[in-house]
Amino acid sequence: MDNINVLIVEDTPAESDALVKVLTENNYNIVGVATTHQEALTLFYQNTIDIVVIDVFLDGKPDGITFAETINIVPDGQKPFVFLTSSKDRQIFERAKLTKPFSFLLKPFNELEILYALEMAVEKFYEQTNVFHSEDQNTVVSRDSLFIKKNKVLKKVQIKDILYIEVEDRYCNIITDAEKFVILISLTKIIQLLDVAKFCQTHRNYIVNLSKIEQINVNDNLIILKGNHKVTLSDKYKDFVKNFRILK
Amino acid sequence: MLNVRLLFFTSLINSIFAFSQQKKDESYLFKNQIKFSVVKFKNEVNFNKAATFFIEKNWDSTLVYSMRQITLTKNIEILDYCHYFRGISFKEKKVINESENEFKRISNNFEFNYRVKNNLGEIALEKKEFKKALKYFYEIEKLSNTLIYDLKRSIVLHNMGLCYLHLRDFNQSEKYLFKGAKLQEVQKDTSLLIGSYIDIANLYYEQYKDAQAIPYFEKAYQLSKKVKFFDLKIAAVLNMAVVEENKKNFPLALVYRKEYEAWKDSLNDQNKVWAIADLEKKFAVKQKQKEVNVLAAENKAKKAERNVFLISSVLLFVLLGTGVYFYRQKIRSNKIILAQKNELDELNATKDKLFSIVSHDLRSSVNALKVSNSKLLDNLESKNYTELDVLLHKNSSIASGAYNLLDNLLNWALLQTQQGYFYRESLHLTSIVQHVEYNYKPLMLNKNIDFKSNVSASDYVFADLDSLKIIIRNFLDNAIKFSKENGTISIYSRSASEDFCYLVIEDTGLGMNEATRKELLKETILLSKKQNDDIIGTGLGMQLCKSLIRKNEGKLDIESEENVGTRIIIALPKFKNHG
Repeated sequence: MDNINVLIVEDTPAESDALVKVLTENNYNIVGVATTHQEALTLFYQNTIDIVVIDVFLDGKPDGITFAETINIVPDGQKPFVFLTSSKDRQIFERAKLTKPFSFLLKPFNELEILYALEMAVEKFYEQTNVFHSEDQNTVVSRDSLFIKKNKVLKKVQIKDILYIEVEDRYCNIITDAEKFVILISLTKIIQLLDVAKFCQTHRNYIVNLSKIEQINVNDNLIILKGNHKVTLSDKYKDFVKNFRILK
Repeated sequence: MLNVRLLFFTSLINSIFAFSQQKKDESYLFKNQIKFSVVKFKNEVNFNKAATFFIEKNWDSTLVYSMRQITLTKNIEILDYCHYFRGISFKEKKVINESENEFKRISNNFEFNYRVKNNLGEIALEKKEFKKALKYFYEIEKLSNTLIYDLKRSIVLHNMGLCYLHLRDFNQSEKYLFKGAKLQEVQKDTSLLIGSYIDIANLYYEQYKDAQAIPYFEKAYQLSKKVKFFDLKIAAVLNMAVVEENKKNFPLALVYRKEYEAWKDSLNDQNKVWAIADLEKKFAVKQKQKEVNVLAAENKAKKAERNVFLISSVLLFVLLGTGVYFYRQKIRSNKIILAQKNELDELNATKDKLFSIVSHDLRSSVNALKVSNSKLLDNLESKNYTELDVLLHKNSSIASGAYNLLDNLLNWALLQTQQGYFYRESLHLTSIVQHVEYNYKPLMLNKNIDFKSNVSASDYVFADLDSLKIIIRNFLDNAIKFSKENGTISIYSRSASEDFCYLVIEDTGLGMNEATRKELLKETILLSKKQNDDIIGTGLGMQLCKSLIRKNEGKLDIESEENVGTRIIIALPKFKNHG
């Protein structure tokens, strides 16, 4: 599991320092702290960013909103972000609100509030609300990553690293090349959210990353994946084999 | 001889003239009969009109309407009347042939056939068809008196005599003329008698029986003095003059001639008088017409005046109506303004009070900090580090108290001016409570308060995040403030209804009495300092919470018992889309 990459756009060092401290303590990876709009753009496009924390006012101007508007224009480059503001002025809010999805955090804030705000930003951005605080789910699925809340902290797993998923009751075991861990999400939900071109159910308890399949042994009802992981293939789901061009 | 013949013709014409004059007035009986028939045929409009015009002697109109009636009707009685009207009209207009034709068209059954006969006879006489005339007159003469009650038999007889005279049957003529004259003598009809005498005289004179003729001329002359008909007088006098002339008695003839001239002049005068009268009449009519015109003009002016009056009164009325309407409107708006003014005054007073309380609070806070800081400096000099720690903690609590006050003040101002951002969304109640309590944990630890948080993780409320935090923060702050050392504060949720989620903040602190509780729940009353000067604040936090709860469509309830504890119950609307 990887840490979440956070970009901070904040012109007051005292506040950015506090923020960096809190986030680092909670195992977030701070990619950088930008103090101007320009710097923020540079950092945003040079690095892999998962969440941006933006102060609305940079140097007395609402450049934070400008930045949010800028990154929202590029369709594939959009990322979840959180506004920080000390003013509840409605005019500013009306403008900031246009940069959907919109979440904000009012200063001063404590540790819990900033973590909550980041989680909320992710939920809203990927349109899977009320996930991280529910009792039966702790994972938000994006196009290329799983955002998992582990011990009150967000983590991330790249979907391309997943070998297969094994379902056990309300849990799913995620098996990657490097590790194996449990997430809280139902099978039906994760199947809905995963790309059908990449993942396929082979058994009532198994979902397999198609790109990781090394060998399919139809007679033994067995699929062999990279790293010699073996997954069961049940009769009910055999149809998926037809999707491959079979050499006879 | 020449003179004699002249005389004869003159008198003849005169006699006919006298007789026609007599005929101009239709007898009353006949008029009544016409009126009766009018009533009988009252549906025939043209007939009615023809009859009316006939009685009025408006011959032209009678001709027109009777013609119309003839073309329209087949009723013989009406036809007879119409033809009769037309006959008389033509006769009066001297169109004798047409008149004769009209009279001949009348059927034999016509009620007034004898009149028709009489008229035909007269027409024949006029056309000098004396034998024919005689025939008609004989027919009338044969009828009994009762049947021709409205015709003067004397005239018929006279006319017969005239016919014979023209036919030079002097014996017959004499007979009928005398018969006529006798009847006239009996009836004392002087004017007719004069004509008869003249004609008788002429009869004799024609036969050169001067001795018999002259007494009649004289009789006629004497009688003519008594009547007013000029033409009779003239004829009589002229006859006398001619007679005297023939007797070669010229002086007397001259006298008669002069008298004749005089009468003739007077007749002319009469005509002149008539003409003048006519002129006068015309003038009078003109004057009258002028007057009528003036009156019409006046009427018109009056009408215009009346219209103007009407319009102006309507306008005035409308003006009055609008005036009343605006006046009422003004009164109403004045009332509203007055009510608003009172409200504003009250609010202003409240604000002033709030202002003074807040500034007093801040002043004492800052003062306390000042005092504490000077103590801090003293202790720093004397290197009393244990005391330093205590003082710093005290300072931090004072600062946070002042901060809370200012924060509430700011939020209050934002709420009042509607400048704050307000957006309701689904909120995870536990998380929010955790965020707020996180800040108070050190404080509670300090006071050694046992804190229990037990909000259900499945509760989602529909509220504005920031205002919910302010509400929880204020109530938690209060709970801590009013709690004694080693007290207990618990926050938990009760999901009692479909629509609301109840968040309960419970403490085992001072509590409050019923009056205070009610006071707190009342709307827009700022709680001023009462008992417990140190801990009871401005009431601003409470007001802010109440307003925010209302804005979030929630409800607030307080359960409290003095020295036992207080339970604040906040009802918040649930987020519906989430179970």
